Amino acid sequence: MMSCAVEGGCPSDYVAVSISILSIILLLAKAVAPYLIYKIPRPKGSSFWLVAIQVLASFNLLLSIVMALNFLKFKGRHWWNSCYIWSVWFEGPLGFGLLLSCRIVQGFQLYNIFVKRRLPPIRSYIFLPLVLLPWIAGSIFIHMKKPLNNRCHMGAQWIIPITCLHALYIAVLVGLTGAVQHVEFRFHELKDLWRGILVSACCIGIWVVAYILNEVHEEISWVQIVSRFLLLVTTSILVLAFFSISLSQPLISLMSLRKKDHPECETMGHALGIPDSGLLLQGEPTQFADPNEPLDKLLLNRKFRQSFMAFADGCLAGESVHFYDEVQQLEKVPDNDHVRRIYMVRHIIDKYIAPGATMEVNISHRCRQEILSTLDLAHPDLFKNAVNELMQLMKMNLVNDYWLSAFFMKLKEDANMRTVNHELEEFGGWNFSHRLSSVHCADDPFHQEHSPRKPDSNSCDSDLQ
Amino acid sequence: MGSLCSRQRHYNQADSEENARTAEIERRIEQETKAEKHIQKLLLLGAGDSGKSTIFKQIKLLFQSGFDEAELKGYIPVIHANVYQTIKILHDGAKELAQTEEDSLKYVISDENKENGEKLAEIGGRLDYPCLTKELAQDIEAIWRDNAIQETYSRGNELQVPDCTQYLMENLQRLSDTNYVPTKEDVLYARVRTTGVVEIQFSPVGQKKRSGEVYRLFDVGGQRNERRKWIHLFEGVTAVIFCVAISEYDRTLFEDDNKNRMVETKELFEWVLKQPCFEKTAFMLFLNKFDLFEKKVLQVPLNVCEWYKDYQPVSTGKQEIEHAYEFVKKKFEELYFQSTAPNCVDRVFKIYRTTALDQKLIKKTFKLVDETLRRRNLFEAAKNLPEIFSYTRLDGLR
Repeated sequence: MMSCAVEGGCPSDYVAVSISILSIILLLAKAVAPYLIYKIPRPKGSSFWLVAIQVLASFNLLLSIVMALNFLKFKGRHWWNSCYIWSVWFEGPLGFGLLLSCRIVQGFQLYNIFVKRRLPPIRSYIFLPLVLLPWIAGSIFIHMKKPLNNRCHMGAQWIIPITCLHALYIAVLVGLTGAVQHVEFRFHELKDLWRGILVSACCIGIWVVAYILNEVHEEISWVQIVSRFLLLVTTSILVLAFFSISLSQPLISLMSLRKKDHPECETMGHALGIPDSGLLLQGEPTQFADPNEPLDKLLLNRKFRQSFMAFADGCLAGESVHFYDEVQQLEKVPDNDHVRRIYMVRHIIDKYIAPGATMEVNISHRCRQEILSTLDLAHPDLFKNAVNELMQLMKMNLVNDYWLSAFFMKLKEDANMRTVNHELEEFGGWNFSHRLSSVHCADDPFHQEHSPRKPDSNSCDSDLQ
Repeated sequence: MGSLCSRQRHYNQADSEENARTAEIERRIEQETKAEKHIQKLLLLGAGDSGKSTIFKQIKLLFQSGFDEAELKGYIPVIHANVYQTIKILHDGAKELAQTEEDSLKYVISDENKENGEKLAEIGGRLDYPCLTKELAQDIEAIWRDNAIQETYSRGNELQVPDCTQYLMENLQRLSDTNYVPTKEDVLYARVRTTGVVEIQFSPVGQKKRSGEVYRLFDVGGQRNERRKWIHLFEGVTAVIFCVAISEYDRTLFEDDNKNRMVETKELFEWVLKQPCFEKTAFMLFLNKFDLFEKKVLQVPLNVCEWYKDYQPVSTGKQEIEHAYEFVKKKFEELYFQSTAPNCVDRVFKIYRTTALDQKLIKKTFKLVDETLRRRNLFEAAKNLPEIFSYTRLDGLR
């Protein structure tokens, strides 16, 4: 019994270790599930990395507790079994410190976006190491002074400053949360921030108690074993409770495992409760989609917009139309509802404007910089220049091809409610415009009519060749 | 009973109609599949503003029925938009230079033109442009002749001033005519950024002959956001026509003010060459905008571009132009061989000097491209023959 308490390997230890392994697996599942289930592409930039680093830091923290408190029995002393690596480095700068720093960086981003209404001035990959600096400095200092005894315990005069450092970070987090608490978040961000604070405060409380018990009663083996067990189990549970996606990716957080009762919120517009954009002109088929009308008026009509969007998607130019659509949704949010506007603006910027975004639009450098360095994210005219540029692009380029395409013909026929041409239906789209095979009959080397091609069959070329 | 029979017959009729239709569809698909195998896929790639769409338009003019009057008239809004946008860029550029430069007085627009300038800049910022009237054309001409605007134009490489500016401003009177119908030249000069993918199918031997190759040419956008769409086109490509605007060694990108266009093209060319799908694809490098290169190289030295920093001018005039061109050509050749893996060494690589606006030159160039590709196809086919010969030879020996 005595040896088990000192060297590790008690049955309760193994139970505790398996519980912590389980919690790590659950944590990974929680982080990765929305992407796998809903087949969402991996996000780029800080929203992905901050979450990934949090998962890594949680793992490090649990590993450091396992190794530092001798849960597992290892034969002989190895260099990697050193107290300093686990109890100082892995617990501090790579574990608890990293976890809290990530949360602080996320909170800082929220503060900038919702309170200051601008995109964060410091990039997160620079800010995170800065926030982590005190931990690294502290670890180096301890490593030099070497105050740990062979049971990985420190004297009281070391524990107090260390606990103060832990508590300081929690205090900074409290401060940030207080600065944003008046904002009416829509995706549980505030709740997650408070929960994070509660969890980390609990952690520290438990550690202090376990430390006192361990130090005071170093000889009583069952105290050691029980306190060790409880420490690991509660840390595993708390690490799971600390994790949240909503701070970096609010929309994805809606789709995580537990929230099945939410309706399918595929777009930010739906999630924010913005009504579907566009009017549905009924009963006026002749006024419908007149090529002589300006494009922005035509795009107000939902059927036309859907048809045009499908056409643009087919020839790989869809992002401009989608961007226009989402900016229209943004316009529907009243000017004084800053929070909803900011959510929508942030979503549009991440999806369409940020360099390397999934549906990046074709705008000039000046336009892009104006948007990314704006001082007011809720400004009503933020996207005006971008919309102008893209409308010009669509008017000069896409729309002329649209009038010649099958999508427009289908739209006309639907509007006039004639019996639809069966062949048209079956082929799913003959296209006479230059956006696809455009062969004038006189030229056709195979003396066929217009070769009918589906818009997305370009990718099938390789199969046919 | 009778009604039952007639209903049956009706169903049978519908059934056989259905069958006939299905058979027709299948026949069509089969024909198309056979046809597909003979079609050669050509891609026009290159950075933004390199001349891809102009070459595309030239191919349409040369090998298809060209532009009819309706299509030509369809370009009027584009040309007018180019005029308004250009004058706005120059006007705003002049204002900015007047604020940031020490020698700011020469960029300040003269008083009589100030009001005009503001009005035209406002028009240029609208969503819907008015038709270009004689009046507006006169105003624009007045602004264009203003010294400040001319000074700004001479620094046009720092702004995103389009290449067709000179041409448009010289022809303003004609463009603003009430019965204006754009000429082929006007259409070629008109500038619109391409977004998405456009394709065309043509046969270079002309309209009625059947013996020629059939090509399907794809035109794409060149800006950075458009390039992620290129990957959808990379399968089964016979040849890549990579366009480079060699006159743009002193300009920055439309989508990134901090990147030199020539350096961007160099990186893009490297990336395209290293694509695994292009192992057997022929590469035709079109060193485009030679007419602008000729004029520029005598005024702006090549070494302003960091890729060309080891350039040494040797003489002046025509000799210098040729020397500069040979230097650029050598740079691209070196780049090609550096980026070509050993297993791709026998793919076809040719460089052509082009001016996309010159119809005769493009026709000649394309004939050379066509010849090269046909020779290459024969070569590919012939590579399979020797095995047959060796088999029969062995048989003969026995």
